[in-house]
Amino acid sequence: LLTVKPDAVTTMSPAGCPHVNGFKVDNWKQNLRVIYQCFVWSGSAETRKRKAKSCICHMCGAHLNRLHSCLYCVYFACFAKKHIHEHAKSKRHNLAIDLLYGGIYCFMCQDYIYDKEMEQIAKEEQRKAWKMQGIGEKYSTWEPTKRELELLRHNPKRRRITSNCTIGLRGLINLGNTCFMNCIVQALTHTPLLRDFFLSDRHKCEMQSNSCLVCEMSQLFQEFYSGHRSPHIPFRLLHLVWTHARHLAGYEQQDAHEFLIAALDVLHRHCKDDNGKKANNPNHCNCIIDQIFTGGLQSDVTCQVCHGVSTTIDPFWDISLDLPGSSTPFWPLSPGGDGSALNGESHTTGATTLTDCLRRFTRPEHLGSSAKIKCSGCHSYQESTKQLTMKKLPIVACFHLKRFEHSAKLRRKITTYVSFPLELDMTPFMASRYSLFAVVNHQGTLESGHYTTFIRQHKDQWFKCDDAIITKASIKDVLDSEGYLLFYHKQFLEYE
Amino acid sequence: MKAAVNQKLTEMGERDRLKELLRAKLTECGWKDQMKAHCKEVIKQKGLEHVTVEDLVVEITPKGRALVPDSVKKELLHRIRAFLAQHTK
Repeated sequence: LLTVKPDAVTTMSPAGCPHVNGFKVDNWKQNLRVIYQCFVWSGSAETRKRKAKSCICHMCGAHLNRLHSCLYCVYFACFAKKHIHEHAKSKRHNLAIDLLYGGIYCFMCQDYIYDKEMEQIAKEEQRKAWKMQGIGEKYSTWEPTKRELELLRHNPKRRRITSNCTIGLRGLINLGNTCFMNCIVQALTHTPLLRDFFLSDRHKCEMQSNSCLVCEMSQLFQEFYSGHRSPHIPFRLLHLVWTHARHLAGYEQQDAHEFLIAALDVLHRHCKDDNGKKANNPNHCNCIIDQIFTGGLQSDVTCQVCHGVSTTIDPFWDISLDLPGSSTPFWPLSPGGDGSALNGESHTTGATTLTDCLRRFTRPEHLGSSAKIKCSGCHSYQESTKQLTMKKLPIVACFHLKRFEHSAKLRRKITTYVSFPLELDMTPFMASRYSLFAVVNHQGTLESGHYTTFIRQHKDQWFKCDDAIITKASIKDVLDSEGYLLFYHKQFLEYE
Repeated sequence: MKAAVNQKLTEMGERDRLKELLRAKLTECGWKDQMKAHCKEVIKQKGLEHVTVEDLVVEITPKGRALVPDSVKKELLHRIRAFLAQHTK
């Protein structure tokens, strides 16, 4: 069992202060609830209207200045100008409630107090009101339950996570050209949210057979974070992959990107039974895979005649980017042009950057006279332009650089260097900042090659995972590498 | 004028939504973490046993007000204006 050392917290007694006893008589709980519902967190339109009208200071008429309500009588007064203090003194009503945050102030203690019973009521009322208004759940820090405290006491062994400990790092034995699978496993076991999901045992399996890939992933995380340093042999994972993704079975080298998509697909399918409610819409699943990896790609097709726009939004797990040197026409955007310098990508050699590739991906494209689209406005086939934009960016964005060309006449690997940054600002495409946490590289040719992964452990330590061999890597090593699959993680998360 | 605006915002539930938007924006830009760090410093100085909420409010309010990014102010102002334009005849 492993844990992280918590910040020092003061132990608070369940009763906030001795002065609340005067208040806790008769039907006090219900009275308190009414105060929260009407004047602090007003959920319904009726209570909001009443709040808007009546919540002003009875002395000076102000609606700001940290308005408080007396708990013993109907009296509102502001805190900043000490009007509520005057009321408390003259009437000897020693408790008041802050109308902005719901905190209870005791004039005898001269501070806000934290009474467990009152806090419980406050939490419930806030949740109710927010639900009514359609505002999400409030984030609150984790506190152990009685059961969890018991478990911790019965399992006293602790593992400290210091900056130089290697927890989470483990090599993987190559079972015969299986580096295409190993490299993806490394990226997934170092995806922060996925790791948190599995290490907190969130998967409740409802599959009858024991061929659940999600269970196997869970097992894999246990192996990686067990502290064992010997390489792990992923034979069970390989077998499950062969069972559920037949096209990847066999002993020849496969494409890592194909494996990633197949793995996410199987995990998503096996996860679907995980939700509290059964997903009735296959496209709107709420499993952990969808929560982390699924984004929405918007495609706008504009008719060149009537300028009507037809929009579709498709889900995606990765963004495949064309590279210069491929047989598809690539518009070389001038190095150092505005936007490219945005992400601190190197331009010393005039190299193409990831941002260049993204800009090319989202530029409007003329579909040409041989590819006319039926326009619903013109009721005929017209020439049109198409543009892709990211409607919804996932928490983890995976960029696939299309290095393997499989056109009718030629099969080759495009080795053009593409510079990619440590931190990616998706502002030109969406408003969000992302950090790099894994890079999968391929060495060799199309026919025979080898996959390795760079992963980020802790905040800024990088390691190279080459099947069973794990070595320390520098940020320069990572950023100078060719790059085949790039994994970025959203920096700030909002809880929905 | 302020009171009338506040009344309208509260009545329509927009005030609560704006509060949530502000909370999210201030977390995103790191303001919340800055304030948290400042609070910890004040608590260290005054001593955990002696510090009151009022002490903290007095200490961090000026800094807190000054550190709100202009972009956040602009966005909220824009939201409020848009809302009022929609809901006043």
